[in-house]
Amino acid sequence: MRAYRLGRLLVAALAVAGLALVGAGATRLPVRPPQPDGTAAPHRTVPAPHLPPLPRAVPVEVRIPAIDVRAPLVSVAADAAGALEVPPLDRPAVAGWYRLGVSPGETGNAVLVGHVDSPAGPAVFFNLGRLRPGDTIEIVRTDARLVRFAVLGVEAYPKDRFPTDLVYGPGDAAGLRLITCGGRFDGDSGEYVDNLVVFASRAA
Amino acid sequence: MKATRFLVPAAGGVALGALLLPGTALADTTVSPPTTPVGGTVVLTATGCNPKSGDAIFRVTGPDRDQNVRSTTAAAGGGLSAELFTAGFTLGTYTVAATCGDGTPDGSATLTVTPIGGAEAGGRAGDDGVGTMATGATLLATALGGAVILARRRRHAVTAATH
Repeated sequence: MRAYRLGRLLVAALAVAGLALVGAGATRLPVRPPQPDGTAAPHRTVPAPHLPPLPRAVPVEVRIPAIDVRAPLVSVAADAAGALEVPPLDRPAVAGWYRLGVSPGETGNAVLVGHVDSPAGPAVFFNLGRLRPGDTIEIVRTDARLVRFAVLGVEAYPKDRFPTDLVYGPGDAAGLRLITCGGRFDGDSGEYVDNLVVFASRAA
Repeated sequence: MKATRFLVPAAGGVALGALLLPGTALADTTVSPPTTPVGGTVVLTATGCNPKSGDAIFRVTGPDRDQNVRSTTAAAGGGLSAELFTAGFTLGTYTVAATCGDGTPDGSATLTVTPIGGAEAGGRAGDDGVGTMATGATLLATALGGAVILARRRRHAVTAATH
């Protein structure tokens, strides 16, 4: 009879501990970042307004009203392995401008990069997947110019098939590319499997 | 009328001059692909160079580089070509200008050396709660199994006591 009581106690303890762990785990499940619906053609040719290219100037802020983003920009380049640097993870609300490329408004594609999330939760580019063609992206530069871009489309690419030419390649007009992570989160590598790219062209 | 007579030949002369002046010749130098991650190989081609005139020289200038590359092969579509390995290149945009073996320039093209791959722009914690939930579910399953065993033993004990 005593063994039976001990058994009941053990079963109850296991059940309570199990329920507690399931509950604790459920509260830590991260929110999945929105993904593009794939209906937009991200690199289609659109009749862009005739705008003279701007001279080079460092961009200092990015604003995306459709997803409530207003973030300072820091300059980034590449690490020793040749991979694109990202802003420091302890400043998840900051985005980076790839300074070895053109600046926003110059002829060519300017590139911005930002985290999708951080250990603290969603980061500056968490909602890029919600952007739709026609949404506005504004860049403030050190020369006090505000450059407006219109979103052409949003696309997700596996990281091992990143479209280098579409992102960094030359262009006849001023373009903008925003990069973050997306797709499935691989718990083993601790990384998302895709990169999400926003394609935009200068509108004003 | 006089103006027309003057303008038409003048315009023709300007167009002909543009075609003949070496400095305004069509760009006969190509880089394929024009954009490569650092460490990639690109093919430089001077389509306007005659291989019989000798090797073409491709001058590659950019952020911290001024390098001459000599053509190695006759290009399939005409002209001369060479491979350029971009390991160690500083990221950025380079100008590739070709000069044919006879000394005539053959135009220029740009090459953009980019970062490798995409960006590691996700930073959430590796433990996303799934492991914790799995451990909890295992404990719950064990508790359920134990409860079943206890119930069976109790039923056996009651049955034995009534017989």
